[in-house]
Amino acid sequence: MQLIPSLDLLNGRVVRLTHGDFDTARVYGDPEAVLDALQVPSGARLHVVDLEASRSGRPIETGIVRRLARRDLVVQVGGGIRSVDDARRWLDCGAGRLVVGTVAANAPELLASLVETFGPERIVPAVDVRDGVIRVDGWSRASSASLRDVFARLEELQLPEALVTDIARDGALRGPSFSLYRSLRALTTVRLIASGGVSTRGDIISLSRLGNVSGCVIGKALLEGRLRLSDVPLSNSIPERVIPCLDVRGGRVVKGVSFENIRDAGDPVECAMRYEAEGADELVILDIDRGTDRDTIRRVAESIFIPLTVGGGVRTLEDFRTLLRAGADRVAINTAALLRPELIRECAEEFGVQAVVLSCDARRSGFSPTSWSATIHSGREVTNVDAVAWCRRAEELGAGEILLTSVDRDGTNSGFDVELLRAVSGAVKIGVIASGGAGRVEDFRDAIESGGARAVLAASLFHDRVLTVADVKRHLAAEGIPVR
Amino acid sequence: MILVDSPVANVANIARALRAAGATLDVTRDAAAIARASKIVLPGVGSFAAAMTWLRETRIDAAVTEAVASGAFLLGICVGHQLLFDFSEEMGTTRGLGLVHGAVRRYEGALPVPQIGWNKLRLNVGRASARPPRGRRAEARPTSPLFEGIEDGEAFYFVNSYAARGVASEVATADYDGPFTAAVQQERVFGVQFHPEKSSAAGLRVLRNFVACN
Repeated sequence: MQLIPSLDLLNGRVVRLTHGDFDTARVYGDPEAVLDALQVPSGARLHVVDLEASRSGRPIETGIVRRLARRDLVVQVGGGIRSVDDARRWLDCGAGRLVVGTVAANAPELLASLVETFGPERIVPAVDVRDGVIRVDGWSRASSASLRDVFARLEELQLPEALVTDIARDGALRGPSFSLYRSLRALTTVRLIASGGVSTRGDIISLSRLGNVSGCVIGKALLEGRLRLSDVPLSNSIPERVIPCLDVRGGRVVKGVSFENIRDAGDPVECAMRYEAEGADELVILDIDRGTDRDTIRRVAESIFIPLTVGGGVRTLEDFRTLLRAGADRVAINTAALLRPELIRECAEEFGVQAVVLSCDARRSGFSPTSWSATIHSGREVTNVDAVAWCRRAEELGAGEILLTSVDRDGTNSGFDVELLRAVSGAVKIGVIASGGAGRVEDFRDAIESGGARAVLAASLFHDRVLTVADVKRHLAAEGIPVR
Repeated sequence: MILVDSPVANVANIARALRAAGATLDVTRDAAAIARASKIVLPGVGSFAAAMTWLRETRIDAAVTEAVASGAFLLGICVGHQLLFDFSEEMGTTRGLGLVHGAVRRYEGALPVPQIGWNKLRLNVGRASARPPRGRRAEARPTSPLFEGIEDGEAFYFVNSYAARGVASEVATADYDGPFTAAVQQERVFGVQFHPEKSSAAGLRVLRNFVACN
């Protein structure tokens, strides 16, 4: 997976425009200084867009491209390349590759002559897509050529890769369009460079798992410091976990919608053993009486050989110790930590970071579409603490993982709150367990792929045998997500 | 078989798993009994230095070394596995038991530390640090008897911040933003960085294989 930092150039400076409006340009500074700040490794590929050129139709920032090309970088240049002469001009400046915009769909003859003149490895066709339809002329109109036609043409010209952007995605909110890249897998052998919406480490891992994406262009997230190139792991084969949850009250498994309307769902030991046999990677027990039912914990712990996380009503270091002694491997703390954050640090120092799970029940706050509040007392009481900031703080204090439950989605089977998951998993380095809302097998994929979760949790879906743990793992494996 | 009763939380879990794997178990801190044992399991969680201090104070370090010298089988689990090495870089440098050559170092990379979760083993690894002579393919080592019946790529449960890398005695590796030593074997001394007692059927199989060693 090639990470390709992207710089938009205007008047010799790196800038970012909002909605393509030149008057809104935010200036980041000299391109070489920006590159140094981003710590772009030598040999890397760099995506450079000459904004003035794309407006005026002739190369402008040739001096900068010449300077950048002298560094040990492969510079791919885009911006209004409309003739073989323009292309030659950029290549003479040292550009390694040329990104040609709408010609792939609009002007097949020009694309063909560019490929013939400079070779297919020099040319990167850009394909912009909205709702499965190619857009041309600055996204203003739909192309008459279908995706199938255009990619067939690219294959004919033996172009090895194409830069594909889903322009309908609001990047920061939903991330890259995994579904678009996945659908292209069946359509073409051309390798894809994903562009637009790449903003977290998880996005990059998920793109690499698709198998047909060979690189991704990263702009805003790097410039704003939300993502650093050195933070991106090379591994993408570590299994993601599927975790059934037992909500326990009075020694029985119970279930309810949004923590209310409780009803009986079986014996905890029987459930636990069945889940392990189905391939559960871990088990979570939440004691919804918040009474830390030690006897039930002990009975379950003694019947399984997978890790057990227990939460519910942990108020003190002693409560924590009691649950570990009863057989829990990890303990989730929630309300008590929000009321007194230092509890996280104390537990991490006493029992190790690996034993401390922060359980965060988050509810959409209504202030903005991307704002969630942490709640206490099993979601019943909303605090004025921002859920994302709280998770970040918990990581600093020593939480080893975050069990993130969407109170809005819990029990609704309408899907995980992927935006919440993205917001938290992009803000912390520790793992996030997605919880609340699983209804279909694809929801688990989305929580990991788009949400950046390292584990997915469900309760009623598994209790009611709508899906088995094995069903979920088979589906994830088929989607390229490693599972045990 | 003796399970060293280290003052750590997971001894009871390991005892339960070993019994499920068919072991007749004596859970003890008696150094004399350990020195005479023919098969020993050494567990450990928490810090390397604290575990080593405890072993020295109880003289179990010498007892384990003596038993191994007289031909005992030994299995170290997690920090127990790390204790087998020459030293660890946890909190400065702390000497280990030196039964297996190599050192234990902290994970570096983009992934969160500690590693918490399942990871897939590569078995049949050659000497990871040594390149094969020019023109020859790397010779796959035979799988350790510890992994009899375990398929390459099987996942095990890990909780660790430190690991050995590329040591001569490694018989399994895993990848955590770079390869690390997941298991070692040097004659009758075995070590596993993962938690077999938390690794479901595959973990029990590894323990059964150790129980069957003779």
